[in-house]
Amino acid sequence: MNETEGMNAKQKLGYYTQKFYDDAMAAHDKGEFVCWSSSIAPSEFFRTMGIHIVYPENHAAAVGAKHGALEILELAERKGYTMDNCSYSRINLAYMDLLVEEKVTGKTPEALAKLDELKIPRIPLPDIIIMCNNICEVLLKWYENLAVTLKVPYVVIDVPYVYEWPIPQRAIDYVEAQFKRAIKQIEDLCGKPFDYENFIKVQEQTQRSIAAWDKAMGMASVVPSPLNGFDIFNFMALIVCARSDYASEDTFTTLADELQAKADAGIDAFKGGEKTRIAWEGIAVWPYLSHTYKALKALGTNMVGSTYPSAWSIHYEPGDLKAMAAGYIGCYYNTSLERRVDVLGGVMENTKCTGILYHNNRSCKNMAVMNVEMAEMIRERTKTPFASFDGDQTDPRNFSEAQFDTRVEALAEVMEQNMANAANQNA
Amino acid sequence: MHVLGLDVGSASSKVVILDENKNIVSSSVFQVGTGSSGPARALDEALGKLSLSLDDMEKIVATGYGRYAFERADKQISEISCHAKGIFHLIPTARTIIDIGGQDAKAIRLDGSGMVSQFFMNDKCAAGTGRFLEVMARVLEISIDELEEYDSKATEVVNVSSTCTVFAESEVISHLSNNVPKENIIAGIHASVASKACGLAYRTGLEDDIVMSGGVAQNAGVVRAISRELRRPVIVAPNPQIAGALGAALFAYDEAKKH
Amino acid sequence: MSKIDTIISQLDAISKNPRKAMEDFKAKTGKGAVGVLPIYAPEEIVYATGYLPMGIWGATKKQILKATSNLPAFACSIMQSIMELEINGTYDDLAAVVISSPCDTLKCFGQKWKGKSPVIQFAHSQNRDMEASNIYMVGEYAHVREELEKVLGVTITDDAINAAIEVYNENRAIMRMFSDVAAMYPQIITPKKRHAVIKARFFMDKAEHTKLVRELITELLQQPVVPFKGKKVVLTGIQAEPDELLDIFEEFGIAVVADDLAQESRQFRTDVPAGSDPLYRLAKQWQNVTACALAIDRDKPRGKFIADLVKEHGADAVIVCMMKFCDPEEYDYPILLEDFEKANNIKNLKIEIDQQSESLEQVRTRVQSFVEMLG
Repeated sequence: MNETEGMNAKQKLGYYTQKFYDDAMAAHDKGEFVCWSSSIAPSEFFRTMGIHIVYPENHAAAVGAKHGALEILELAERKGYTMDNCSYSRINLAYMDLLVEEKVTGKTPEALAKLDELKIPRIPLPDIIIMCNNICEVLLKWYENLAVTLKVPYVVIDVPYVYEWPIPQRAIDYVEAQFKRAIKQIEDLCGKPFDYENFIKVQEQTQRSIAAWDKAMGMASVVPSPLNGFDIFNFMALIVCARSDYASEDTFTTLADELQAKADAGIDAFKGGEKTRIAWEGIAVWPYLSHTYKALKALGTNMVGSTYPSAWSIHYEPGDLKAMAAGYIGCYYNTSLERRVDVLGGVMENTKCTGILYHNNRSCKNMAVMNVEMAEMIRERTKTPFASFDGDQTDPRNFSEAQFDTRVEALAEVMEQNMANAANQNA
Repeated sequence: MHVLGLDVGSASSKVVILDENKNIVSSSVFQVGTGSSGPARALDEALGKLSLSLDDMEKIVATGYGRYAFERADKQISEISCHAKGIFHLIPTARTIIDIGGQDAKAIRLDGSGMVSQFFMNDKCAAGTGRFLEVMARVLEISIDELEEYDSKATEVVNVSSTCTVFAESEVISHLSNNVPKENIIAGIHASVASKACGLAYRTGLEDDIVMSGGVAQNAGVVRAISRELRRPVIVAPNPQIAGALGAALFAYDEAKKH
Repeated sequence: MSKIDTIISQLDAISKNPRKAMEDFKAKTGKGAVGVLPIYAPEEIVYATGYLPMGIWGATKKQILKATSNLPAFACSIMQSIMELEINGTYDDLAAVVISSPCDTLKCFGQKWKGKSPVIQFAHSQNRDMEASNIYMVGEYAHVREELEKVLGVTITDDAINAAIEVYNENRAIMRMFSDVAAMYPQIITPKKRHAVIKARFFMDKAEHTKLVRELITELLQQPVVPFKGKKVVLTGIQAEPDELLDIFEEFGIAVVADDLAQESRQFRTDVPAGSDPLYRLAKQWQNVTACALAIDRDKPRGKFIADLVKEHGADAVIVCMMKFCDPEEYDYPILLEDFEKANNIKNLKIEIDQQSESLEQVRTRVQSFVEMLG
């Protein structure tokens, strides 16, 4: 744990992210088990047994952010997937094919070599996969296809949709039973009994990591914000990939300290240029991350509000399997419209947002189909303006810079007008 | 004996007349398609060259989007089968056909005897079709015939990645406002059309020879882009626009010989 | 008019005018109707209330005006037309609507109903081979039952649900038989007629539907079986609409000899098993559903299931009726292609289904080319 001594949070993020991918490859090469996991599936069981986990969604986002998406998306389309399917899944399913081809032929397919050239980290083929559908139902189909093609053990943690908050007891009982089955599947894979003692330790680590994450992300509520909102998108990588590891606790603790020091010194992320504060609802547009960031920054708009941080804030008492089940079921993206408005409204109030931007994400029906209602209800509750734009998390073909720029400019103008009006009324 | 094939497309009308020995004795192309005067004018011209009338035709087969609108046809056959037949007649080594027309892009796999063994067509959207090129040419204020020449002078292929025609239009406009040369933008537009068509073509298994037909095949810029994308030579069918009408005429010939 | 024609036109009229079917039902029984959205719902519980369960599967050629501001363009066309109709108040006479949550669009849809009828939403479990899944489903069905009791002001007894299950199982059995008999008489039961007979069951008392279909089968079996010169296909997908699509099939001599459509055979190929606790019986039925895009199965048996249908019915090909923007179906497709290839290269054609489609010219070209290719 000394290896990160003296590093700042950003350096730690870079170090651990790289290490995380390197470790998974090394583990695979040594014949240790590697698991592919959806982004908010319980990592605790696998880390307990020393199984390395890689996250296809995180990997796909990296492919998108490093501009490697287009060609691999086309590979998926050749197989019969449509452009209308989630671009994360298309990238991953095509990537899987490339890994299989490489394994079978012993030759690196050209498309894979190209991704290597772009310095996109490799992920090894999995020995087991786990899917938890608390972020969308597409995962059910995506991982079903992985399972049938790779013929590896498939752990399904099916969390039924919480159409009415709170979570019904029957859903908790059902998911708890699935946890027990997952443990059995992992025991079968490892050929040894599940280590319940270590399980508690891993759960405790997970809770410490989440607490550090909450603390760091909480700094976005300071006005003006010491946290540049797009760093939420950047640091997210670790809460996704290393939630049950010390790596994330280490990084987020440092990040929280840095942000606190900045806040104490009165330094904000835009160096005094923060004019307006918005929430961003939905996934980032990875291939245009820099464009979207710069467009907002040029307007003095800091994206401080996001439901992302809370999505990984899965709180429970270590040892309490039912509480852990409830934590995974109650993920924001698996909840009712009312609950989502409640959470998002709370985020906007905590972070003092003066407006909100909705990403109509072509890849994500779950995060787009209720946007119209969310926008109305949030406006009612927060009395702030909103704008929405068409985009896609990783398919560069479904986003228009011009449309984005126009929409965020208009939003900024309305927010500034509102602030001017409010100032006049107070004067 | 004469037989006639008529291909009434969305953007153009084509006629081919064959004689007893399957020779093309007359053909015509009009750049207006179904629902217009195009089919009648194409027929008049092709028949006029031989001083013949429709009544002199032993059999008539119609194909293309407007195939059912022409009442004098003895038979209607889809453009997939007709393009396959026409191309295979011209180039018997053809195994893969990429046909880009006004509103359709198709990829067809042929077996050794010229029979269609699988085919793929584009989705409803205009991306990757002649229509997409038309929209882009309009934005660039040049005629569709000039696209090829501009492309040949490109020094670089800029990225036009949006699939949605409206988004692509705004991408092109923003390239223009950044003073990117039209030549390079056009090369990018051609690459975009090629990538859509190749997406279909890959699914056929891509057996050589690969042949392009349809109106867009006359644009050497698109052909180059497709060849680049597939990393394979691509043969352009002679007079690619009439391949469908030729196929229809060949089907008419078979019909005539049946009886 | 022959008896066959009479029955078919009766069922066709019902399939074309659900509102009239509902009003007739109300006039006759004094009870109202409850809407049931795709794909699966415990209709038997609704039936046990005496209300008429009405299938809500959108409408063809409905111009989408108001829905565009309430749904993204990438929601499927069934949901687009339902949204348009609910905003127009078309469903307001329903005493309630029951909405399941198997895909992202539907689960959000249940949260944003614009009509006046109360919404009863529920979820399906997907770890279906576990007993815990059955227990969860019993809880969900109990929730549907309680909500229905509340909204309709009725008591739903176990006996009433068990009786409803019998009515439904009988209808399922007769529908499976109809599908097989229809395949013997493609000259009489055209694709469009087949669809109408099946679709009518969404808008009428299942007991009556059973009676009519049974009569139809009896009449059909008296007809001579004539060799069929066209092509026999198996349809798969969510639905094969609009009717113009089925006309195109007929035009090119295509007969539907079996289907794997969510709106058709998937509705009646899994019986509710025997037992005493009706909710547990219904839960077990969900566990037994197989080869459906919306019922997760780690072995993905659907391709093989369809290949078996092709073999069993001597079909020439499969037509995949792909509901555009339907995630579950779209993710099955690449695997289906692999399975078709493995199963002796079953010929297949994908056509895009869009309820709002005004022009089917491209589909016509595809279907014609396909038939020409089959030779």
